[in-house]
Amino acid sequence: MKFVTYAENSTQLKALAILVETGRIDISDLEVIIGNAFISRYSENTIAGMEEMIALNQKYKLPLTLEWDVLQQESLFQKNVELISRMPLHEFKAVRLQDPGALNFVKENYPWLKVQLILENGNHNHTGLSRWSEFLGDQLDRLVLSNELSREHLSKYAADLKMDLEVLVFGRILLFYSPRLLLSPLKKMEVQQEFQNKNIEAFGTSEESPHAGFPLIENRHGTYMFNVKDLYLLDHLEELKALNIKAVRFDLRFDDSYGHLEDCLDLFSGKVSHEEIGAIKSEHPRPMIKGFYNINKTDVLFTKLKNKRIQRQDADYIGEIVDVERDQQMALLIKSKHLKLSAGVELKLITPEGKTKTLGIKKFTNTSGVDIASAQTNEVVLLPFMSGVVAKTQVYLVEKDLQ
Amino acid sequence: MNHWTPELLSPAGSLEKLKVAVLYGADAVYLGGQKFGLRQASDNFTAEELREGVEFAHERGTLVYVVLNSFLHDKDLEELPEFLHLLSELSVDAVIVSDLGVITEIQKHSNLVIHLSTQASCLNVESAKLWKKMGVTRIVLGREVTIKEAKIIKEQTGLEIEMFVHGSMCMAFSGNCVISNYTQGRDSNRGGCAHSCRFEYSIDMQDEGEALKAYFMSSKDLEGIRMLTEFIEAGIDSLKVEGRNKSHYYAATVSKVYSEALAHYKTHGNFLSEDLIRWEEELKKISHRDYTSGSLDAHADETSIYNQRESDDNEFVVTGVVLEVKENEHVLLEVRSAFAPGDTLEIMPFSGKTIFSTAETIKTIANVNVVKSKPGSVVKVPFIPGAERFNIIRRRIAGANV
Repeated sequence: MKFVTYAENSTQLKALAILVETGRIDISDLEVIIGNAFISRYSENTIAGMEEMIALNQKYKLPLTLEWDVLQQESLFQKNVELISRMPLHEFKAVRLQDPGALNFVKENYPWLKVQLILENGNHNHTGLSRWSEFLGDQLDRLVLSNELSREHLSKYAADLKMDLEVLVFGRILLFYSPRLLLSPLKKMEVQQEFQNKNIEAFGTSEESPHAGFPLIENRHGTYMFNVKDLYLLDHLEELKALNIKAVRFDLRFDDSYGHLEDCLDLFSGKVSHEEIGAIKSEHPRPMIKGFYNINKTDVLFTKLKNKRIQRQDADYIGEIVDVERDQQMALLIKSKHLKLSAGVELKLITPEGKTKTLGIKKFTNTSGVDIASAQTNEVVLLPFMSGVVAKTQVYLVEKDLQ
Repeated sequence: MNHWTPELLSPAGSLEKLKVAVLYGADAVYLGGQKFGLRQASDNFTAEELREGVEFAHERGTLVYVVLNSFLHDKDLEELPEFLHLLSELSVDAVIVSDLGVITEIQKHSNLVIHLSTQASCLNVESAKLWKKMGVTRIVLGREVTIKEAKIIKEQTGLEIEMFVHGSMCMAFSGNCVISNYTQGRDSNRGGCAHSCRFEYSIDMQDEGEALKAYFMSSKDLEGIRMLTEFIEAGIDSLKVEGRNKSHYYAATVSKVYSEALAHYKTHGNFLSEDLIRWEEELKKISHRDYTSGSLDAHADETSIYNQRESDDNEFVVTGVVLEVKENEHVLLEVRSAFAPGDTLEIMPFSGKTIFSTAETIKTIANVNVVKSKPGSVVKVPFIPGAERFNIIRRRIAGANV
């Protein structure tokens, strides 16, 4: 299993190199993601800064991957393609991509360049993951999976899919990514993100949400909101390894988390136990959670979002009660295109509360009060009042003809 | 002379809304079944409703697209083939999909035409090329793409291109927001969006100043009536209206306004400024946030932020939907908001000018006079020449600015 982390500048790259040199981690277990402010979502690095890191790495030989994870409208995409074409791509072990356009571009133009495909946004099924893998073929280095997948699914995918998989184990959870600049207008700040790489950082709290302190970032690519709790799966590293997850990512870019790098490395290498590095969690500025690692039940509330009883159920559906006049009559709108209402039939009525009633129809009238023998789609007929029946009661034909 | 115009694609949140959208001029409608779409709280269509809806639309030459645009999990996918068989049997005209796994299952189990949902955030030529390789024939572009960029994508891929022309907008790249998943336990990408972007937030900029209160993540609504010439000249194939969760009145108004505008262009090859003003006035009469052209002309900037509380204050209110018309006797209305005898009602015909009528009397179905109609009830008003079943009736609210 590989230890994947980010280096934002030469200092951080050097620090990682020293850790390799001092034996804190084997170089074959390490992978370092670098990027720049033009093609990476949160990076503040300049092109010159990235080039300096690449030059420095001639000495260290750390396995570098290039992060190109922004989403890009066509005009921005063209600029980035030009930028990419000028980069020394041979210096990278792989490129990390999320925009399908970037993926297609790399596949067509750099077939020798390995791809780490970021599928953190959706991609929650075996079929889709297999198809992405099939599309990339030998060019695929690894799939970066969503942190909404539970252990059960990670286990299944790691066992079934013949490809390397990566998951985030420590760091911020991205909730929202907008291309619009949403923070600078609040301060009437001049939007100078085209010319400077510094991120604007803030925290957001809403009284309409039980959660407070959502970290926010704005930069040239737009605005990001993160969860109020960060992801922490450091107590599951052994388990992930046993599941055959090939890479775990430590995102130490925010909140001075880089200070925990050595502890994370020691934990990863098995030099210290999880209990011995408890400070990582206790010193973290925000609460930490396991996210959906244990279980993902984000679809269970859907059944409560609407009343299924007011929906038509089957082919015997004839219509809906649209009005009830107590002790007088009920108005039935015939909605079925194929069934007619005629005197002598028996109806089943299902109220919005779920009560079922039956009603034999001896006669009925139209809305002008005239007795009629039958009625069809789009007609409104008046039936005798029945206690407990209200508007939106659904009506079904039980017996097609009792006579 | 017959000038080319794009398809108008309207939302159909329920069978009734489908009928309204079709009758008010939509060339195509999109709708969801009970599962696999992104509007879990919407009525959506049962199998029987779907059958009837497709028949109703096809009989009138209107196409039907079915959304399967959730990011589905494995267990959801297991239930998909049965629904695909139903859609094939009903001859729906396309399905709208965002997940590659779903695309793959559709291709395995059917010959359905596949449109890529905006949820997949396809934003550039290369991305469109990739999805073309995956088998999609139409791309619903991300709302962040300009018409000029869309034209390039169309020219370089040969794919059909669909763009949003009207309605609410996600502030995030579509499909790139999971706030509800973590704060409400509801998967926004499987239909559980809680609209947290519409909340007011206190923003602490960490600069020692006081936290700023703002609806900083809320987007104004898209209105593209003034961009129709650009859409047409760019050859955009389909113009989509957002809003499956919205009212019958909304479905009727947007379908009518945009279909009238496109019909006008088809005949005349241009738009007159007085017509554009009239159509804009009509679009102001439906519930909406402030309008913006979003990214249609240039990538959306800070003027596209709707930094205010949501409000239902409208100049017009929907009075009801016509259930039945008895020639020379009465019109039966399903009442949506209360009105009283003497109120002036505005009947929106399926095409042409609004019909004004004063409700001299209001009666129950049993012919008892009422002094004020009750929302949710059905009442009779005197016969209104020109009124038809499914017409929407609205009323100007007393005191509203004219």
